[in-house]
Amino acid sequence: MLSKKNPLDMLFASITAISSFAVILLIAGILFVLVHESWPAIERFGIVKFFFDTDWNPVTESFGAATNVYGTFITTTLSIIIAIPIAIGIAIFVTEISPDFLKGPIGGAIELLAAIPSIIYGMWGLFTLSPIMSGLIEPFLKTITQDIPIISALFAGPPMGIDLLTASVILSIMIIPFTASISRDSFRLTPEVVKESAYALGATKWEVIKHIVIPYAKLGVFGGVVLSLGRALGETMAVAFVLGNNHRITSSLLDAAATITVTLANEFAEADKDIYLASLFYLALVLFVLSFITLAIAKFFLLKAERKYSR
Amino acid sequence: MNVVLKRKIEGMVAISLSTLAALFGLFWLVFILGDVLYNGISALNLDLFLNDPAPAGVDGGGLRNAFAGQLLITLFATLIGVPIGVLGGTFLAEYARGKGISKVIGVLSDIMVSVPSIVIGTFVYAILVRPLGHFNGWAGSIALAIIMIPVVLRTTEDMLSMVPWTLREAAFALGAPYYKVIIQVVYRGAASGILTGIILSIARVAGETAPLLFTSFNNAYFSVNMNQPVSSLTVTIFQYAMGPYDSWHTQAWAAAFVITVFVLILTIAGRLIIKWRYK
Repeated sequence: MLSKKNPLDMLFASITAISSFAVILLIAGILFVLVHESWPAIERFGIVKFFFDTDWNPVTESFGAATNVYGTFITTTLSIIIAIPIAIGIAIFVTEISPDFLKGPIGGAIELLAAIPSIIYGMWGLFTLSPIMSGLIEPFLKTITQDIPIISALFAGPPMGIDLLTASVILSIMIIPFTASISRDSFRLTPEVVKESAYALGATKWEVIKHIVIPYAKLGVFGGVVLSLGRALGETMAVAFVLGNNHRITSSLLDAAATITVTLANEFAEADKDIYLASLFYLALVLFVLSFITLAIAKFFLLKAERKYSR
Repeated sequence: MNVVLKRKIEGMVAISLSTLAALFGLFWLVFILGDVLYNGISALNLDLFLNDPAPAGVDGGGLRNAFAGQLLITLFATLIGVPIGVLGGTFLAEYARGKGISKVIGVLSDIMVSVPSIVIGTFVYAILVRPLGHFNGWAGSIALAIIMIPVVLRTTEDMLSMVPWTLREAAFALGAPYYKVIIQVVYRGAASGILTGIILSIARVAGETAPLLFTSFNNAYFSVNMNQPVSSLTVTIFQYAMGPYDSWHTQAWAAAFVITVFVLILTIAGRLIIKWRYK
């Protein structure tokens, strides 16, 4: 700023500027390359047809994304439904309930869950969780739901442990730490004075949480949930082990399925025909756009929350 | 009186549920870590590090190729990703401080941090694998570097912003040009913070599998030639765990153990540096 005329300073400034523009270049580059590579498939299958066609058949060279999009949608939604209450419970515990000396260690331990690589979750899911699901949890769910008309259809078929439900459970364990830590950070921003005033009026601890802390933090928590959604959309290895890569739309959560990411992981390196590869690139493009939009929405809410608190 | 009781009970229930949720979260951590440690330690032996894989289905052999490949891919990813990330973060925190472009790039980096890594794998496949006609180690390193850049960039920006502006003014007053101020004063002030960002970004990519599947691929033989397919621990875990042989499963647990311990040590080290320096 003070010495713009110094040539070395100009040089250093340009190098740093170029480095930071790398991020923009990468995003633009990914978008361009994916569109370019998937163009043959876009031309052949169109956009609407690609989304709603359930046929994914390399032999007849007919490719539709519906089964993959469906798998991604179900696993993501289910995992978010499982993760939200637990994550918010954790955040409440860590900010409001736990004794002070436990706050740091418990918060840190749960964040460690986020550091474990997704391939470890996937492998653990295959060797440890999947047998538990097929031997214990899924038969149990089948028994308690067998007389309820619509819900029993969700648990139809033999419990194999390699299915939508197992994948969603693993995914939910993976995203709990993200949601929990952002919720915790938002909860923490509630001013002590406001909470103390509520206590002074005779509110119980839970009433303070329900009427003061949660309303105060809801933007941040919502941002955290959407961010976790974005993460869950693109998670590959945690689900690749336990989903079975089955291109079918099934009504039962106990059936094998495919997500966009699992299809890419299993088939990309083996695609032998141009249109096959182009269709896989098309899937990658769909995933990139979907997750980019989701993450942008999350970022929007988190920024909005930040602005609100800093007032 | 009844109302008070009802409120108290409601509170007790809600608070117990939250406590249960926290225990539930901890339960998974203990379960997963315990399982990996238990199965991993029993599968560890010296052969694992010294031998190359035995032919498929034959007992014995090791993962020397995967350890070497993983180190090599991660090392080059760090060498490519860290300088770009640190310099980019410098631009946002210094030359573009408070400007619109700084905010835009910051937000885009945050999004890039969470973009599905498998998409980055397909991107690198299109630009570096298909044109060359074969999988290669460089492609793997570059895919990981792309994942590292936004992580390092954001932490660097944050850490540089925490260096007091008066420190820079003091250096300006001595007649130092801005680049000298940044390199000799600001970087020094933020060194431990930048280091933390680098450590955490290495922890982040060391466990990445999806972007390596179609870039560095896998190699059953020992090879440090980055122009050829290079084996990595994570891809090997995927292949072995999904494979039919018990000996493969055992080795997959051992590899999972090594990766997990490595990543957790880096993560905890990064956290400790921040705690020790900034609290």
